[in-house]
Amino acid sequence: MNNYPEAVAKIANDYLERVKLQLRLVPVHDQQEFLRELQSHLYEAYRQMPGEDDVGRILAVLRNLGEPAEVVSDRLPGAMVRSGARRSLPLYIMGGILIAMFGIPLGFGGVGVLVGLLFALAGIVIAYYATAGSILLAGAMSMLLALTRMFLPHLWDKLVTFGFIQMNGPVADFLDRLSPSEQGFSMILFASVFIASGLGMLRLGRYLLRGLHFLFILVFDWMRRLAQSVRAKLRRDNRERPHLGAVSFVSNGQ
Amino acid sequence: MEYSNEDRNRRITQLRKGILELAVMGVLYHERHYGYSLVRVLSGSGSISLKEGTIYPILARLDRDGLVRSEWVESGQGPPRKYYALTSSGRQLFDDLNQEFDLLVSLVQRKWKAPEQSEHARKRLVVRKG
Repeated sequence: MNNYPEAVAKIANDYLERVKLQLRLVPVHDQQEFLRELQSHLYEAYRQMPGEDDVGRILAVLRNLGEPAEVVSDRLPGAMVRSGARRSLPLYIMGGILIAMFGIPLGFGGVGVLVGLLFALAGIVIAYYATAGSILLAGAMSMLLALTRMFLPHLWDKLVTFGFIQMNGPVADFLDRLSPSEQGFSMILFASVFIASGLGMLRLGRYLLRGLHFLFILVFDWMRRLAQSVRAKLRRDNRERPHLGAVSFVSNGQ
Repeated sequence: MEYSNEDRNRRITQLRKGILELAVMGVLYHERHYGYSLVRVLSGSGSISLKEGTIYPILARLDRDGLVRSEWVESGQGPPRKYYALTSSGRQLFDDLNQEFDLLVSLVQRKWKAPEQSEHARKRLVVRKG
């Protein structure tokens, strides 16, 4: 192994750590290979850098090399492409089996739950609007019948005779006690209540839609925050990791 | 209108970037090299000051395109070195690019003569000035 003064080893390791951080999206094998290459470069450059001050020499080497982001540029996509091309067939097969055994059922389950929830919510909205529409339609029909009772009594009688209008029970008893115009008036009142309810429900439907929209935003925001916190945690772990594994400068303890 | 130093430097960097890849291929055409030795050859051959880290993205690009091959070789003095050499397709491409480069250099360095102005044009210019 190579021996360096402690301060030099620390500076060089810090630089390699920063390079490694830049390479976090690159497969481990490619990371290690490039870090080994850089380690070799640092060693050669440090050895040939003139001067008595060790720290000054390594700093000059790193200055000549450039910022980690510049050094790894063009390496990220390439390494990612290569990693796909070089992956061996058994790994592909094993990955496929694992995905088929665990990933797909879990994925289907999750998608199923999500789709179910979406359908349930859509069902609630559809049912709500169907109810509002039915009440409104019932009110409109009642209004039409009330007007018929008031202004076209002979048509009303015909409709009753042919069985199109059937009234039984307490409602029929109550209406029998009233004159045709009074019957029409009470039916108009009844129809107005229905129409008002239907229109009210349609108006309130906007709040239902807004509420669902808010719920969706809340859930997606929660998911986004969860993903962000996981990413931040992974980044923090990466930064706090003290060793580079196979690639590091070794101090001679000076 | 004069150009700024910043603009000049930016254009020089742009020009160098394009040519540096060809220069790297040129060096690897004759002999295999590892990263640091490549830097030494390139910066030692002329007055160009080279940021050493720029070599690695170029090597990565050439490697990705199958124009160079690499191998690790143990070094007696320190960590192993990763040597690069041009592949046959890299050599073929370098020959083509080199020809193209020669054409471009001759185009840039050609002594261009300004076309002579006709008597009529000169008269017209005088009229406009007056």
